[in-house]
Formats: sequence, structure tokens, C-alpha cells
Amino acid sequence: MLTMTHLQKVYRTHLIETYALRDFSIRVEEGEFVAVTGPSGSGKTTFLNICGLLEEFTAGQYQLDGVDVRGLGDSARSRLRNEKIGFIFQSFNLIPDLNLFDNVDVPLRYRRIAAGERKRRIEEALARVGLASRMKHYPSELSGGQQQRVAIARALAGSPRLLLADEPTGNLDSLMARGVMELLEEINRQGTTIVMVTHDPELAARAHRNVHVIDGQVTDFDSEPMLVRSVRDGDASRAMA
Amino acid sequence: MEIRPILSALLRSKVSMILIGLQVALTLAIVSNALFIVSERLERMQRPSGMNEADTFLFNSTGFGQGYDVKSVQQGDLQLLRGLPGVVDATSIISVPMSESGWSTGVSLQPRQATSTANTALYMVDAHGLSSYGLKLVEGRDFRPEEIGFRSMNDRNVPTTVIITRALAARLFPQGGALGKQVYYDNEGPPTTIIGIVDHLQTPWLDADFIDNSSLMPAYLPYGNVTRYLVRAEPGRRDEVMQGVEQAMIQANPSRIIGRVRTMEQVRADGYAGDRAMAIILGAVIVALLAITALGIVGMASFWVAQRTRQIGTRRALGATRWDILRYFHTENFIITTLGLVVGGVLAYALSLWLMREYQAPRLPWHYVPVGFACLWLLGQLAVLGPALRASRVPPALATRSV
Ligand SMILES: Nc1ncnc2c1ncn2[C@@H]1O[C@H](COP(=O)(O)OP(=O)(O)OP(=O)(O)O)[C@@H](O)[C@H]1O
Ligand SMILES: [Mg+2]
Repeated sequence: MLTMTHLQKVYRTHLIETYALRDFSIRVEEGEFVAVTGPSGSGKTTFLNICGLLEEFTAGQYQLDGVDVRGLGDSARSRLRNEKIGFIFQSFNLIPDLNLFDNVDVPLRYRRIAAGERKRRIEEALARVGLASRMKHYPSELSGGQQQRVAIARALAGSPRLLLADEPTGNLDSLMARGVMELLEEINRQGTTIVMVTHDPELAARAHRNVHVIDGQVTDFDSEPMLVRSVRDGDASRAMA
Repeated sequence: MEIRPILSALLRSKVSMILIGLQVALTLAIVSNALFIVSERLERMQRPSGMNEADTFLFNSTGFGQGYDVKSVQQGDLQLLRGLPGVVDATSIISVPMSESGWSTGVSLQPRQATSTANTALYMVDAHGLSSYGLKLVEGRDFRPEEIGFRSMNDRNVPTTVIITRALAARLFPQGGALGKQVYYDNEGPPTTIIGIVDHLQTPWLDADFIDNSSLMPAYLPYGNVTRYLVRAEPGRRDEVMQGVEQAMIQANPSRIIGRVRTMEQVRADGYAGDRAMAIILGAVIVALLAITALGIVGMASFWVAQRTRQIGTRRALGATRWDILRYFHTENFIITTLGLVVGGVLAYALSLWLMREYQAPRLPWHYVPVGFACLWLLGQLAVLGPALRASRVPPALATRSV
């Protein structure tokens, strides 16, 4: 799904240079559920932002779904983002002035999808996160967990290949966090690749693979993808047992 | 990006939308009416007086002392003026167009008519009058020197010949054939024969409803010891002639004072001073209102951009291009402006009706409102461009970086 090799990201301000990522290499296979952990300031968000084409990198290589994204213009990056990637943010980032229906509609409109098709997708996505009955509500009328579900619906409506989540449960209590995690797992089971940054070791343990980042580098021996199919099979056998 | 979600988001912050919308509405209402008044004034100021204004000037001569014979001085002056280098012609006058003072009277077709057929201004000239004013004779003939008589202020005898403007001729004889007809300038007196028709000459009064009705009569009419002269110079030599004229007059007869020598251009400027002031004031009001509205839009849009920075970052993260963000703010402005303009269009016509009732103003021509629509749309789009560009530069990473 994505391959980064010797990636480097330097933030330059007028006085200091911060190496947010240095010699960062990682492969994520299609269908994986990767949890990214690491101390604060280690570069997790930076990695995720570069994954999602929100930021550019200073050196190295990055291939997203077979496309070398280096040197792509802003519009091309926006389009790739819109078509291939779904984002889930720690603080939900719903648009407060739009009701749930219109919130989920936002990325679909940028893809210029016809109205009927958009409506179908929105209703389906909201139904999938269990909020079909609240389409006309505004974000402020929902609990945090519900807001994050809307954000997930918004990410799902565009049927992305890759779902990026930066501490999606960071602002939720453990019960709501578990609900969101279960939803993400279900989405992953249906084939969407997920890369999730989290501070919660319990949640990280539930992913297929953990990537540990320290000081802008992947430190874990576990950074090569394992066979996804076998994990799925494992899940299935556990369910049967 | 479509209108519906932007509109529903806008409806959640009604107050600011209503404030800007109302500002746009009031601006349209006031600007369209003010623009109409300005254009009316400018049009009014463009009216031709009918005489040569570029090369002419006028002045008074006031004699004093015993034995000052106004008649002989006048004849001598005219002779002298006509002989000055650069002078085309000169005549004695009582008034000029746009000066707001002069004589007027009624003209009748029959003696002892209860109400006169038309009103007219009276210009007293000699046989050099047409040439000095620079009038175009379209029918008949000019005055002959022997027709010119000396008259005093309370002389009731009306000259027996007159030259009138085409407008007055049409008013008196709508069927045509005014030349040679007899009309009555004095209800009791003998008739006057129309011997010539000139193309155009305004009355001295800019607001007169008979502004194009003028009559030229063959007479010298000093006002006590005051005589007034109109001099027409060769093209381009007016100022040069003007400079020497006072000196020449005093040299010819020192027992008099020469009043301020004024060009017809100055007379026009003074005559239309009120209109010009009105046009300038309203023009300033228009510019100020447009500037305030534009600044209001810039301020509001800047505030909204700042307030929604995080939202903009999120939209970028979800796939909006810079162009999509730019278009969002332009569309939003278009919606607010359009709502304001619809209200403003109604207000504009209401204001026009009120002006018609209170000030007898003419009706606002319908096309001023659509033109105002276009201007304010453009103004709004220009005003929002800066903030919208700022919005489009919000980095998408803001979605994950801001708290
Ligand atoms: N825009 C920026 N300008 C300068 N330095 C930055 C910028 N963004 C991030 N950094 C720096 O890059 C490093 C990595 O930051 P990053 O946000 O990726 O950390 P993180 O692992 O996500 O931390 P946290 O767990 O606290 O979210 C930090 O040292 C941070 O200060
Ligand atoms: Mg972070």
C-alpha cells in the first residue's frame, strides 16, 4: 500500500532545524492494520501527515499505492488525498456549521460525485457507524464518541484504500474508545488498510503490527509486514473457537 | 462546491450575514440613486447655452462725474472694442445665459390676451449682437444699424422687430412659419415682427422651464451710467484681449470704473457651481459608501477565515484544492451579496419613490439597479479575494497540528 525509504523531514524555522523524521523506512501492505506508537514529539504525526500527503518531505522516497508522490503538485496531491485516503483526527474536526449529512458530504463534493450517488453513500456510511437516524443533527448535539463515528463515516463515504488515524481515541473515555476501535477493526476486516497513531498500549496490541517511533526513526524489529492473511485466519479461528 | 451547504452554514451565523447583507442593500439603494442624481447634474451641466463660450468675455463700465454722457461713451467704447487687435466683434448687452439675472416677459399672439402664449428672456443687442454672441441665424435676417434705438429702463415702447430662438418660434407657432409673423411683447402696445430665427440661445436662468425661449431685441439699454459689453475674440486670443481691455477703456475715458472682466467660461462655472458641488458631494458619498462596504466585506471575510482556519485545514485534508477553498469564500460572498442586493433593489426603488414625492425628483431609470447589482457583485468578489487567498494558503497539515 505504501513504502517509505530513507525518508527525512526537517522543519526549518529561522533559528533551528528540527529533524522530525530521519532515515525513516517502512512498508505497509494492503489490508494491514498498523499501530504507530512512540513518545511525544517522536515524529508520529509527521509520519502520518506525510503518509496522507498533508506535508511534503525533505529527502527520501515515498510510494503511495504504486505512485511516486515526490514532486506532485498541490492539486494532484489533493486529488490523491481525496480518492485514496480517509482521515480520522484526534479532535474529530467536524465542521460545526454543517449537519451530519453535510459533514459526510464534504469529501464527496470535492470528488464531484453526482448528488444521488452522494446521498446513497452518505446514508450508507452513517448507517455503518450507527448514526443514520441523526443525519440532520449538528456535531455539537453529539457526544465525543458519536462525533468520532461521524468522522469515521466521513472517511468511509469516499471508500478510501487507506485510513489514517491520529490518536482517534485520544479525546474519548475508554468505553467510547473501545467502540471506535471495534469500528476500525471491522472496517479493516472489510479490506481497508489502516495506520493508526495511538498512545494506548491496549489498543496498539489489537493491531496486526506495531511500529515504534523514537526520535524520528522506526526502532522496532517488527517493522516488516507480517502476512496479513494469516492474521485474518487467526481471527476467524478465534471467533470459531 | 455548491450553494446549498454554504447557505445552510451561513444561516448558522445569521447576525454577521445580515449585517453585511444590509450594508450591501443600503449601499445599492443609496449609490444607485446618488449615481442617478450625479449623472443628471452632469447632463444638466453639459447643456449648450447656444452662444460662443470659448472666445467671449463681458464686463461692466460704470461712469461717474458731471457731464458723463453714457450714450456717446457707449458708442465710442463699441467702436474702440471692435477695433482692438484680436477682437472679432463686440456688442452692448444686458445679460448672458447662465448668469441668473436678466429680463423676461410673456409673448402673446393677440393683443390683450388673458394669458400669454409663451415666456421668453429678453436680450437687448445692436446689429453686432448675433456675431458677438456667436449665434447661428437659421431663418430671416440680422438687425440693421438703423433699427437700433436707445432705450431707457422705464421706456414702454417695444421695438417693432425681434429675432427669436427656434424653440420659442416652435412654441408660438407649432405649425411653423413664425418668420414674418407679428406677436405682442406688450399687451397694450403695437405688434412686433419676427424678422429672424436663431438656432439656440438659453435664457439667463438655468432652472427656467422656458430655458430655450429667448428673444433678441434691437436696443441700446444703459442702466443709469452702467453699460455692459460682450466681446468676442478670435479663437485662442481671448485672454490676450482681456488683459488689455481695462487699460484701453480707462484710457479712452478715465471717468469710470471697469468692473470685473469675466469670461463666459467663468459665468458657466458660477452658474453651475451648485450642480457641481452636488455632484462632487454625492460622488464622495458614493466612493465612501463603496469603500466602507468593501472594507466591511474584507473585515468580515478576514474574521471568518481566521475563525475557520482549522475547518479550512480539515477541508484541505479531505481533498479540497486551494482553488476549492478560494471558490468557497467567493461563493459565500456571492450569496450574501446577492441576498443584500435583492433587498437593496427594493430599497433603491423605494428611495427613488420617496425622492420623487418629497423633492419632485425624476424617477430612477430601471437600468441603474441592475448596473448597481453588477458593480456590487464585482466589488464583493474583489473585496473577498484577499481573505480568500489567505484561506487558500492554509496548509492541510493544520488539520492534525491544531488543537
Ligand atoms: N510545523 C513545525 N515546525 C517545526 N517543528 C515541528 C513542526 N511540526 C512538528 N515539529 C516538530 O517535529 C517533531 C515531531 O513532531 P510530531 O508532531 O510528529 O510528534 P508526535 O510524535 O506526533 O508527538 P505527539 O505524540 O505529542 O503528538 C517535534 O519535535 C515537533 O516539535
Ligand atoms: Mg502527534
